[in-house]
Amino acid sequence: METKEAPAETGGVPFDLFKLSSRWDCSAVESSLVETLAVEEEPSHLNTFNSSGMFNMVSTDKMSVQYVGSPQHGYDVGGVQANCPAPTRRIAYYFEMTVKNAGQKGHVAIGFTTKDFNLRRQPGWDANSCGYHGDDGCLYHGHGKGEPFGPTYTSDDTVGAGINYSTQEFFFTKNGEIVGTVCKGIKGLLYPTIAVHGPNEEVAVNFGKQPFRFDIEAFMLKERRKQQELIDKLTLPPNVSHWIVRSYLLHYGYQDTLNSFDVESGIMSPHIPASQENGYHEQGDAYALNNRRTLRQLIRNGDIDSAFFRLRQWYPQTVQTDTSVICFLLHSQRFIEYIRAGQLIEAVNYARAELNKFFAIKPLDDLLEDVVALLAYEEPTKSCVGYLLEPAQREFVADAVNAMVLTTNLDAKYPEDPAASRLEMLLKQLTQCSLERRELNGDQGEAFDLHRVVANDKFECR
Amino acid sequence: MSHFWIVLGQLESIKAMSTSKKVITKEEWEKKLKDVKIRKEDMNKLVMNFLVTEGYVEAAEKFRIESGTEPEIDLATISDRMAVKKAVQSGNVQDAIEKVNDLNPEILDTNPQLYFHLQQQRLIELIRYGKVEEALEFAQEELAPRGEENQCFLEELERTVALLAFEDVKNCPYGELLDVSQRLKTASEVNAAILTSQSREKDPKLPSLLKMLVWAQNQLDEKAAYPRINDLSTAKLEEPTV
Repeated sequence: METKEAPAETGGVPFDLFKLSSRWDCSAVESSLVETLAVEEEPSHLNTFNSSGMFNMVSTDKMSVQYVGSPQHGYDVGGVQANCPAPTRRIAYYFEMTVKNAGQKGHVAIGFTTKDFNLRRQPGWDANSCGYHGDDGCLYHGHGKGEPFGPTYTSDDTVGAGINYSTQEFFFTKNGEIVGTVCKGIKGLLYPTIAVHGPNEEVAVNFGKQPFRFDIEAFMLKERRKQQELIDKLTLPPNVSHWIVRSYLLHYGYQDTLNSFDVESGIMSPHIPASQENGYHEQGDAYALNNRRTLRQLIRNGDIDSAFFRLRQWYPQTVQTDTSVICFLLHSQRFIEYIRAGQLIEAVNYARAELNKFFAIKPLDDLLEDVVALLAYEEPTKSCVGYLLEPAQREFVADAVNAMVLTTNLDAKYPEDPAASRLEMLLKQLTQCSLERRELNGDQGEAFDLHRVVANDKFECR
Repeated sequence: MSHFWIVLGQLESIKAMSTSKKVITKEEWEKKLKDVKIRKEDMNKLVMNFLVTEGYVEAAEKFRIESGTEPEIDLATISDRMAVKKAVQSGNVQDAIEKVNDLNPEILDTNPQLYFHLQQQRLIELIRYGKVEEALEFAQEELAPRGEENQCFLEELERTVALLAFEDVKNCPYGELLDVSQRLKTASEVNAAILTSQSREKDPKLPSLLKMLVWAQNQLDEKAAYPRINDLSTAKLEEPTV
């Protein structure tokens, strides 16, 4: 984690280098975010290694199982688990099984078991397992005696078993209708499990490749709504959103927006008091607002020379060390602007004069390679480093300069991170609380992800 | 007194032991927070969503230029929506109804409750300005037929008409109908209906997220003692209370 600390060259000013590099491979970050959501393996077929072998036969497509023994006692069940445990980082998991042949007795079952469960036993008969049985419709939850639960099921019926992580319950369905729920009460990873225990009995499993009989999407939506309703009932201090937005505009120096925002709030919402009497302390938010706005506009317009000039004039201390991160960013951006303008010779000369010294600085050299690589492409915008030419890169540099200027405010009572707006701190807190809670909850349930919320036009709490 | 504190202290420690909550120090928590990545673009979108949904047209336009964030919808539609809202807020209900119908006649056709509330607001405005005859005529011709269709409407109509029975309407039991808050209520109902008709969320995302933060902290309280943010407006981390 040492790399996340600013190197000594920044002149002791805290600067989150990690943030820097994460912007740099923004596209990579984006895909990795998506990956962490999808990375959890989902059961896709039955496990043929771990099954009870002697008494059952898994089909070659590993999607169905048939009883082949002749049952003598309670220790020759043909149980099979899925190839991997049910994923946990979501609101619910669900799978289904269709009874192809209930045989004479219909001793078929569906449920969940832990990894080491004895698969010669029905799910539910022993500890750390739970199962809904076809012959008596009972629910077995850790011992040999079942509880009356729902209807029996037999040939051609489809039953389903699910885990609701938000309520910590198992739920079972029959032919698309919910049968009932029961407290989960088992810790650790759980494997979807199906079992047969009589001649000719055969069941086929569906891990979601085919559409489910039960509308699991609607079920999850309902669960989310329940949660959302609880959240909606909470109340916020009056106008707090308004002030958080205002402080965001101040923080990043979006001054024109801020002025319009203030004028419009005066007209539209006369009940929002003026800032000086609102009781929300704006602390150092308005510090150097005019200068920060000017610097932002210069950078956004690609006029890096002027931005540099102003910075040297107004805040010489921020650009004192010419190998600092902030200088690196500005020099890189100057180079990028040459590329954008198609001035390749100028770009090369600039790189020789101002950029090459950064190759000697450890965390920056990789980033610099990306920047200089722009030279190699006839159409740099379409290259793998094309993101450097997007407006977001200018915005990124402008944000870094803005943060730098904010650090020069010696009166600031900024808590930890001068680069973070209040909105950012609140969103980080929300994300971290939700991650922490999931971790303390055995890694179960959905965690908050801002990107998903923002990308989702129809906002739904997750 | 000192005994009291000792006992209290013991109780606290017993409680802490029995629940064995995980304690996360401020230092540990800050380190974790540092690793949480929030993207600037996402925050910009959140702010844009707030400006657009709350109807800050000018600010949204400026924000588009200053931050490069594209608004989710054509900003011109906000101006229309805001004009309606403003008309209701300043008591020009008839004007507001016309504007809504210009925008999309289906909004009022498919939303009898909203239409009734607008008409009721119009009646309130007539009474406010002492136009008794006009008010009576309007109530009988426009509102009474609707009240017959719907029990709730009828009750609200009766409450409103009751205002006529008082000379000093401001201090009568139904005086709250004349309050600014009644206009604001009706205005926000119209605003929400227009947003829905444009298949937009009627509430900005930011307040929802703030509520979610409050909720997430409450949930985590059950499992751990950690630095909370108690004051949303300062976003200051408190020391964990064990």
